[in-house]
Amino acid sequence: VYQVFENVAKKYDVMNDSMTLGIHRVWKDIFVHKMNPCPGTVLLDVAGGTGDIAFRFINYVRSVRKRQLQRKLKHHQNLSWQEIFESYQKDGFNSLGDSQVVVCDINREMLKVGKQKAQHLGYSEGLSWVLGNAEELPFDDDKFDVYTIAFGIRNVTRIDLALQEAYRVLKPGGRFLCLEFSHVSNPLLSRLYDLYSFQVIPVLGEVIAGDWRSYQYLVESIRQFPPQEELKAMIEDAGFFKVDYENLNFGIVAIHSGFKL
Amino acid sequence: QHYPPLRALQASAALRRASDEHKKEPLTSSSQQHFDSPPAGHQPEQKPQGPRPSYTGQGGQESEDYESEEQLQHRILTAALEFVPEHGWTAEAIAEGAKTLGLSVAAAGMFHSDGSELILHFVSECNSRLSELLEKEQKLVQLGEAEKKPIDEFLRDAVEARLRMLIPYIEKWPQALSVLLLPRNIPSSLNLLTSMIDDIWHYAGDQSTDFNWYTRRAVLTGIYNTTELVMMQDSSPGFEDTWRFLENRVADAMTMSNTASQVQSTGEAVVQGLMGAAVTVSN
Repeated sequence: VYQVFENVAKKYDVMNDSMTLGIHRVWKDIFVHKMNPCPGTVLLDVAGGTGDIAFRFINYVRSVRKRQLQRKLKHHQNLSWQEIFESYQKDGFNSLGDSQVVVCDINREMLKVGKQKAQHLGYSEGLSWVLGNAEELPFDDDKFDVYTIAFGIRNVTRIDLALQEAYRVLKPGGRFLCLEFSHVSNPLLSRLYDLYSFQVIPVLGEVIAGDWRSYQYLVESIRQFPPQEELKAMIEDAGFFKVDYENLNFGIVAIHSGFKL
Repeated sequence: QHYPPLRALQASAALRRASDEHKKEPLTSSSQQHFDSPPAGHQPEQKPQGPRPSYTGQGGQESEDYESEEQLQHRILTAALEFVPEHGWTAEAIAEGAKTLGLSVAAAGMFHSDGSELILHFVSECNSRLSELLEKEQKLVQLGEAEKKPIDEFLRDAVEARLRMLIPYIEKWPQALSVLLLPRNIPSSLNLLTSMIDDIWHYAGDQSTDFNWYTRRAVLTGIYNTTELVMMQDSSPGFEDTWRFLENRVADAMTMSNTASQVQSTGEAVVQGLMGAAVTVSN
């Protein structure tokens, strides 16, 4: 698995765009929307190498925070400009409201690409990059409000261990969110999907990234991955409550959610 | 034969330890002993039975564990109510509520992001409080310690008491009303409204079994809704305009019902007179 991602790290984003025809952006947007984080949330994004979820999280929190500040100021009518200025200073222009993201990935290359992207796009505060294994996270218990793993859990060898680690590092009341390719139940669609996956994607892999075998692996790992209900049962086994899933695009992708209660 | 060990809700256990000021439902002692068992270590199960407690096997204990999830949600929503004046009926208020209980703010994700559950919870709580109030009053009347009120006064007092419960949240209540009207919420909100009106009439002593039952409820629902709307834009001290409006509406309703019965009896009298005239003429 490590070598697969070492090869694909640099071209990861480009490949994602071409493989999913850009829809993966929409999926990730929906994912963060479902999370609906409020300022002050501490997020752990596992297998989040190139930072897609992390950046979206920061954008979301920033806009929520802006609205919060606007509402607060509206309450205080008739303030002098001096007072308004001071109130901004007091909150330290806290545009993130103490929210934080820790991006954890097993692969150094992916993290490097992620850091570069962050610099390039101008994300500086509230981000940390940590090297780590999802089956054995280098964090203490009860640390995070939300744990996300987007398109990463199928690459984990022992999914149950990863789920247990997720349970461990989450605070009580914390949320586990998982975005992953899943099973399409609609028979017509599933045939089209299979056709596309096995014929088109490895070819794209060869053309764009010069690597047929990694993308063949990727497609096969999607087929191997447990379907929605099975994953839901595994999440419940790890101790999460209120476990539920939402299919996007008829099951091509599914979002699973559970709470540590 | 063994059953999978119960996992007591970790949060509930942690909350018990953390603060004693909050009133919490005590978990049974056997749930307590499972609190420390690591979530990972459960014995292999013969059949693929999830950790979701089933209603077979350990019976009452498991159903208590299952209910704790709803009880926890209940507690979070109750805690969230005090943040509503500041944040409105939103997921933010729920997140703040969860924080006071020692849970992560992400727990607000359990509820819908528009705060519907919070509002429905509040309405149902108000209705329960109203029922308790009316029950207490009824007991006093039965014990002979209080006079039985005439119908219009009774209705007026009941509606006023119920509307007064909105006063702390009055600024954000219009927002709540609009959320309650969302198609998704209409079944629940309608249900709550009709059961409240039903309650009031029940304690008012209504025992009708004919069409009157429907008219009475429709009339009272109309009175309640219109008074609520008046209250939304009432700026008089102590909402006296609203209470006066309420008084007038209830009086109208009473007059209407009197008029209706008068019309009916007049009609009967007229018919009888005609019959008598016809008999006289025919003879």
